[in-house]
Amino acid sequence: MKKMTLGAILGLALMSGSALAASAWTGGDDLPTSPLACDGTAGASAAMPYDGGSPTNPPDRKGKKITVVDIPKLIGIGYFNATTKGILDAAAELGNVDAKTDGPTKANIDEQITFIDNYITSGVDGILFAANDPVAIAPVLKKALEKGINVVGYDANATPDARQWFVNQAQFNGIAKAMVDNMAAEIGEEGSFAIVTSTFTTPNQARWIAEMGAYAAACHPKMKWLETVEAQEDNNLSFNQATTLINKYGDELKGIFGMTSVATPASAEAVTQANKCGTIAVVGLATPNAMKPYVEKGCVKSVVLWNPVDLGYAAMHVLRAVADGTLVPGATSVKAGKLGDLQIINGSEILLGAPYVFTKDNIGQFDF
Amino acid sequence: MTASKLLRHETILAVLTIIALAVLASLSDKFFTAENLLNQGRLMSEVGLVALAMTFVIVTGGIDLSVGSILGLTAILLGVFWKNLGLPLPLAIAGALACGTFAGWVNGFIITRFSVPPLIATLATLALYRGLAEGISEARSVRGYPEWFYVFGQGEILGVPFQLWILGIATVVSAVILGLTPFGRATYAIGANETAARFSGIRVHATKLWIYTAAGFVSALAAVIFVSRVTTTRSDMGTGLELDVITGVVLGGTSIFGGRGTIIGTVLGLILIQALKNGLALSGVKGDGTIVVIGLVLIGAILIGAMFDKNRGG
Repeated sequence: MKKMTLGAILGLALMSGSALAASAWTGGDDLPTSPLACDGTAGASAAMPYDGGSPTNPPDRKGKKITVVDIPKLIGIGYFNATTKGILDAAAELGNVDAKTDGPTKANIDEQITFIDNYITSGVDGILFAANDPVAIAPVLKKALEKGINVVGYDANATPDARQWFVNQAQFNGIAKAMVDNMAAEIGEEGSFAIVTSTFTTPNQARWIAEMGAYAAACHPKMKWLETVEAQEDNNLSFNQATTLINKYGDELKGIFGMTSVATPASAEAVTQANKCGTIAVVGLATPNAMKPYVEKGCVKSVVLWNPVDLGYAAMHVLRAVADGTLVPGATSVKAGKLGDLQIINGSEILLGAPYVFTKDNIGQFDF
Repeated sequence: MTASKLLRHETILAVLTIIALAVLASLSDKFFTAENLLNQGRLMSEVGLVALAMTFVIVTGGIDLSVGSILGLTAILLGVFWKNLGLPLPLAIAGALACGTFAGWVNGFIITRFSVPPLIATLATLALYRGLAEGISEARSVRGYPEWFYVFGQGEILGVPFQLWILGIATVVSAVILGLTPFGRATYAIGANETAARFSGIRVHATKLWIYTAAGFVSALAAVIFVSRVTTTRSDMGTGLELDVITGVVLGGTSIFGGRGTIIGTVLGLILIQALKNGLALSGVKGDGTIVVIGLVLIGAILIGAMFDKNRGG
């Protein structure tokens, strides 16, 4: 009886859900999607004019020592420790950059704005950021541009005219394809899965989820999305949310997508503690160190990511190139030290490269 | 309770604040500039507004943990009224303010009508209002407000941020109400001894209901300013606001047991915290270090306050 009621409620929920939006999974955004081809052939990217902002009367910084502050979404988690390492590596290599990382201890947009505001007052030359909200952060970044500060984003974008360039760690459709393909390989073409994300409005996660929905509809149409749950970027909450999913859906649940570097290991831990290793697959974005125990035990088979050390490294090089005046609107590529030439896409974004899948065979080579 | 005793904590705090300002100014030449101070005023306006009402709440011996959630709910409703229901923006603002005020009234109603301890009642509505905000918004942000709306959060009048004027007016009004009116004396009487206040003919329930409703109203007002400042609504806005507010009020010398506290103290507490956050950041202390210093200052101020209490012989 209980099951029937639950089934009825679920059915109703699904029906009303499908009435509202044809394809979108909860937690995705409303922007148009551009799923990659199922076999991975690259689509042609249309050239776009530069749509970033520009600082007002910046002083001549060419070759001069500059002070740069990096303000990620939050500090004290593995992922942003890794980007910080990349930024400091690049700064040391360049030799004429004084860089440091500071930011809120929670992924909170109010606090992040205050941090940026204070650093504008203290008079830095450059700001690197990863936005907690693309629109809410825009006024304070525009203020930085007005003060002649060079502004470059990485990891999570702001509205384009509020910053100069954005280092895109991987195109959303590329990540979405890697995530969905790996999940399909593990749970089969007809498996059901749920998603643990940070919040429904976090820009990256919302974009990925929208792209995953579009790609799955095109290339794995029989896979079944059950639910998306919010878990901030909180370890405990992520674990609880994943455990709730496991209990709620029972045998129906075949896989969990972890959308953040916190949600993925917490979901893997929840699956481990529920003794569901091998029956519930976890595919997600996470740093290798956090996932090593689960990957080495065989509980998790694929961890999708890019290299965040490279991401921070590239962002620092881009900021230096902007300050030096070597990267100007209209450029098609930019030199980023050991990474070589990076391609410029979507007008004012710099593409880091294709996503990387960590598996049992290669995860041991990474330490971040 | 003579005026000199009442002012004692505030005097210490004022001295402490002046010392802190002087030290911070010497640490960074960017700190004591008109531009930076006005900008800090802009950043503390939302917390400041709510703290004024919170002073009344705590003076009655109560607490309101739901203010951050009311802020989030009001912000979302503002967006929903305007975008989804298609109301003109001024009407949407008025509607959102009314709903926030109503949310505060509900707090007061639960507390007075059913004699639920304020801590429990507002802990429940903290979850309730935040849940409503997330449910109503369906996790979508509302953006793209017309340019004139940004005046509240980003505009200036005579070179002073718009919201600082509002905070200034609200501060004077609440200081007068708490310090000079029968309503203010009733507030102190309730906090000092609720039973005695009732037998003295003070309308305890009505007074409390007004105070919690006012807390809802200022939280809603803070929400409008906040949305205007950051140009978007999110359902997680104002998360943790209650803690910043209570920290400011308690640092300002308001007794958490009720019966004691002033608006001046609250304002000084807020200024001290904001100055420390900003000044330490400007002099190169990282965010985590700043939190530690604020914690130490709070403990220090409370210890000094307790010492004076002892000297007074209880």
